[in-house]
Order: sequence, then C-alpha cells, then structure tokens
Amino acid sequence: MPELSLTEAIAASTSRRGFLARAGRLLLGVTGGGFLAAALRAQKAEAYHFCGHIYTTGSCPHPVGLPRIDRNGFPLRAVDGKPVDDLGRPIDAVGRPVDARAELLRDPDGNPLPPAPRTRVCTAAGREFGFHPRIDGAWYRCCNGHVRKLVDCCGAVRDRINGDAALTGYCYSGRRVFCVMYYDTKIKC
Amino acid sequence: MIGTVGAARHDGRRAFALTAAAFATGLALGATLVFGALGLLGEAVHSRFLVLAAVAVAAAAILSDAAGLRVRPQIHFQVPERWRRTMPLPQALFLYGLLLGTGVTTYVPATAAWALPALGIALGNVAGSLAIGLGFALGRALPVLVLAARGEETLLAERPQGMRALRVLIAASLLLALVASEVQAAGTVAAPAGDPSVVGADLAWQQPGVGGFLSRNGVKTQLPGNDPAVGGALVAWHAGPAVTVAARDTLAPMVQETIAGAQKLAVSDRWLVWRSGRQIRVQPLSDPSRSALVVEAKRVAELGRPALDGDLVVYHYSTAAGSWLTAVNVANGTRRRVRFARNAQLLNPSLLGASLLYVRASRCSQELRLGPLRGGKDRVLFELPPLASQDSGHDRGHTSQGEHVPCPHRPKPTTRILWTTALSDTTAYLTILRPRRGGRTVPTLIAVARR
Repeated sequence: MPELSLTEAIAASTSRRGFLARAGRLLLGVTGGGFLAAALRAQKAEAYHFCGHIYTTGSCPHPVGLPRIDRNGFPLRAVDGKPVDDLGRPIDAVGRPVDARAELLRDPDGNPLPPAPRTRVCTAAGREFGFHPRIDGAWYRCCNGHVRKLVDCCGAVRDRINGDAALTGYCYSGRRVFCVMYYDTKIKC
Repeated sequence: MIGTVGAARHDGRRAFALTAAAFATGLALGATLVFGALGLLGEAVHSRFLVLAAVAVAAAAILSDAAGLRVRPQIHFQVPERWRRTMPLPQALFLYGLLLGTGVTTYVPATAAWALPALGIALGNVAGSLAIGLGFALGRALPVLVLAARGEETLLAERPQGMRALRVLIAASLLLALVASEVQAAGTVAAPAGDPSVVGADLAWQQPGVGGFLSRNGVKTQLPGNDPAVGGALVAWHAGPAVTVAARDTLAPMVQETIAGAQKLAVSDRWLVWRSGRQIRVQPLSDPSRSALVVEAKRVAELGRPALDGDLVVYHYSTAAGSWLTAVNVANGTRRRVRFARNAQLLNPSLLGASLLYVRASRCSQELRLGPLRGGKDRVLFELPPLASQDSGHDRGHTSQGEHVPCPHRPKPTTRILWTTALSDTTAYLTILRPRRGGRTVPTLIAVARR
C-alpha cells in the first residue's frame, strides 16, 4: 500500500475519499497556519526587548536607549551604529560633537565645540547604581543578518536593574548580571 | 465693605478720606506681611516643581474665572461685624483691610485669588512676591473706594454681571501677566551676538564678522576690535594680536600691547586675562611686561572662555572623562575646582562676587544655572531640551519589558546649544548657538532675569 499523506490519512476512513482529502487538506492548512501564527505570536509575546536577548534582565542605562556598544564598551547609537557621547550626540573620532551630516560643530569663532564626557556603558551603570562593574562573559546570536555579541554587565550585586534578584548569567566569581548590552559584529550569519 | 467705608461720607470728606486711607493701608500691610513671607519661603525652597505647580494653579484659575465657575475653595469666614460698632471707623477699617489684604482669611471673589499666593512662592523672590501682593491689595481697594465714594453700595449686588465682567478681567490680567513674565524672563538682547560681558549697565558682546559692541543704557557703540570684555572701570578688546585696555567710561586707551594668538579676553581693574590656543594666561595691568600661565589644556581637552571678577578667574575644562569649572585666584595662585560632572558638560562660567553662573548640559536637558561659587544648591534660570533624541529602548517587534530609556518623559530634542554667559546684579546673559550648514553656528544673545 502506498504511503498516505496526512490529509489522505485523515480522509482514508471515509468513502468520499476525494472530497474529504481536499477538505482535510484545507482544514489542515487552516489549522496549521493558525498554529504557525499562534506560535509566532507566542514567540513575540515571550521575546525579550532586543534581538538575541534571553531572560528578562533589563538594558544598561545608555545615552540613546537601546544598549548598543562598540567593542570597547562605549555607547553607539543603535539605529546607525554612530558613536555618541554621554549627552547622546553623535561625535567624531576624538569625541567632538558633529551635526547630522557628520560635520564638526563649531562655535562662532570656528573652533570645534568642546567634547562632552563619554563613559563606557557598564561603567556608567556601576556609577549610577553604586557597584564595581565588570564584563566577564558574553554569548552570541544572529540578529539582522549579523552576529550579535550579547554582553552582561556584572557586579557584586544581589538585585539587578529591574529591581528583583539578579541572575548569574555569564558572570563569574560570584558576580551577577546587573544589566545587559550588545555589540553588533560585522560577521554575517 | 462698600457700605462701611461709605458711611464715613456722612461725617464729611475729611473723615471719608481718613477712613479710606486706613482701609487701603490695612490692605497694603496685610498683603505685604503675607506675600513678603511667601516670597521668603519661595527663596528658601525655590524649585521647578513649585513653578510648574503655580502655573497649573494659575491656569486653572484663569479657566475658572473666564468661564464664571463657582469660586472654590472658599474660606467660610467674614470679617467681624462688631468691630464697626465697637471701634472708631478708621481703626475698624484698618483692621478689616489687614484681614482682607492677607487674601486668605475671608471669602474671595475670584478663583485668581488662589493663584496669587502660589505664584508668590514660585517666583522665589521677595520683591516679586511683594509686587503681586500690593497689586492684589490695590485690586481689592479700588472697587470698594470708588463705589463708596460714589455712594453705590448695592451696585455689585444689583448687577451681578459687573462681578462677572470683573472676573473675566481678572482672568485676562492673570493670563497677560503669565505671558509677559515668560517674555520678560528671557528676552533677546541682540542677534547675531554672543560672548557677553557685563558690569552694571554696561554690556559688551561680539557680533560675528563685525566686531565688538558696548551697550550703555540702551545706547550701542561699536568698539574698534573684537571679543570685548568689561570689568571694573575698564574695557578690553583686540584687533588680531593688538590688545587694547581702555577706560570704560571714555574708551580712552590705557594699555596697548601685542599678544600673539589672543582670542578671548577678560579684564578687571588689576588684571588682564586671555585665552590663546590651549592656554589661559594672566597679566598684571601694572606691569604689562610679565604674564603668567593660569592653565594649559592637555590634548583632547578644551578650555572655555575665561571670566574674571576681582582677582578670581573662572573657566571650564572639558574632556571626554568629565568636565569641571575651576576658580583661580591670580593674586595668590590658589585654585579650586568649584563644580565637576562625570556625565554632564559644564560650560562657560561667569562670576559676580560669590555667585557663579554657568551652563550645564546633561542627557535630558540644558540648563543655565546660578549658585554659590563655593558650591551648594543651584537655581535653574533658563532651560532648553536636550541636544539628542532617544530611541524606543527596544527593538521593533519586541516587548518593552526590560527597556531603559535615558529620559522617561521623552523630551523633544533641540539643536540650539546654550553657550557663553555673563552675570550682573539683576540679569543673567546667555549666548544660544543655532547650528547652520557646514557645522557653523550663529549666536543669539538673550537676557534672563535673575529673580
């Protein structure tokens, strides 16, 4: 006996095989599609606040919002990866503010405007919340076609930025995750 | 009250005048006591929250009076009637005035009466609060005195539309006062203009591409150089490396010398200070042949425009690791860091006696701050939104749980930048830079009441 498909198997017990096979196919399609949509909805509902993040620890305080950092831990603007200072302004390579066209902002005499402080995101979290910050480990996920490195900002803390108990995550030597950041690599995935 | 004051008319004009004067004096005294105390309280606890709360109360009062809503809350108390029977009329009227002048001891005819004490505290200034109180006293005295003099005791009771019109008038006046105070609080002095310097009524500034100006009692004079600074009895400017220090009243040159690279000047009766490149230097005016280094900026740091008051120079030092304001006594060399911020930018201080004015740009706002030089609580005189926007804190299609945005109230950012400052007894001056194409900026000079 030839192997039956699932829809055919659903209809196999009936005499109106042709009609019911088609009806079964339709039924499975509808219910299957619904299942897939429900699964996606469930995935969205369970998803965390940025791609690649698992568990529920909140973002580290960041001048722009999403906790995107460069490889040295300094803040980047999530939308375009431009470096920003602690005021959230885009800056040049030496920290001086630039305009939307990346041209150096100058005072009326033509001198560049002074640099504002720029602090590593985990360091700023440690200062703001009173702990000695450390970056111990990281994990990787594929986000938007590139490998994303997800970084825990660790400290000798009992509570995380959310206000509840901190988890161990990728922190060592008794430290726990206070908040999370990410670094987008250029490696395609 | 109209009837009580009007009763004095039966004893002649002199008696009426005496009674009216007693009533008005009582009102003024009551208002002075209460609003003076509110002003003192406001000075002690001045905060943005108080200002916002007062404006909210005033806005509600304007709506209530304009719409003719029932005046709420009310104090269910009236002045003691027996005083008019047991005391000489002028004495009774004086005491009635004293009670009514406080504004908070009897029924009030308009909701605006509740906005006045709130505004008196929010001003954070005794003189301003007293002005409100005396205006209130005048507003209470005039209708009573005018109607009493005309013998129209029952006019308001018989024609309630008169009271209705009065409340609309009060609402309009309060609205006008709020708008006017906002306009007066920060007015444009000149544009394009920046880098102010002030002593008393003399204000100097730089107009980019044109030169320095000196304004005295509203009369504007162009100076023969750039980057003017006033201090003590002197004014200084430079034309390239040629620096001139002149008498402020006559503009007659007193010292002329060549200082290579001089950009920004500051002057007092004893000292000339300038910034050139990465240095700030000082020179005694008694001996222009010698100068001393005040500070030199390291690489990737910026020195601000120096300001000078007496022997004290203040300037900002801005780096990617933090920014701070330093005060140096150039007479004895002592230096002190008077403000420091790791995650905000402190800019362009100016000094007057023990008061320090400076700009603080942080992630969620830009503020012009006034405070004691030696540290302590600063007051925000002027504020602009932050210089950068923020994102949603979460990726598209993801939950917002766990996001952490820098400014919870999500302010709309501005491109305008608070810049250089100057301070007088009554006014704080501030340059605001507006970015244009190519990264250049155009300055506007504004004046903000110190309050």
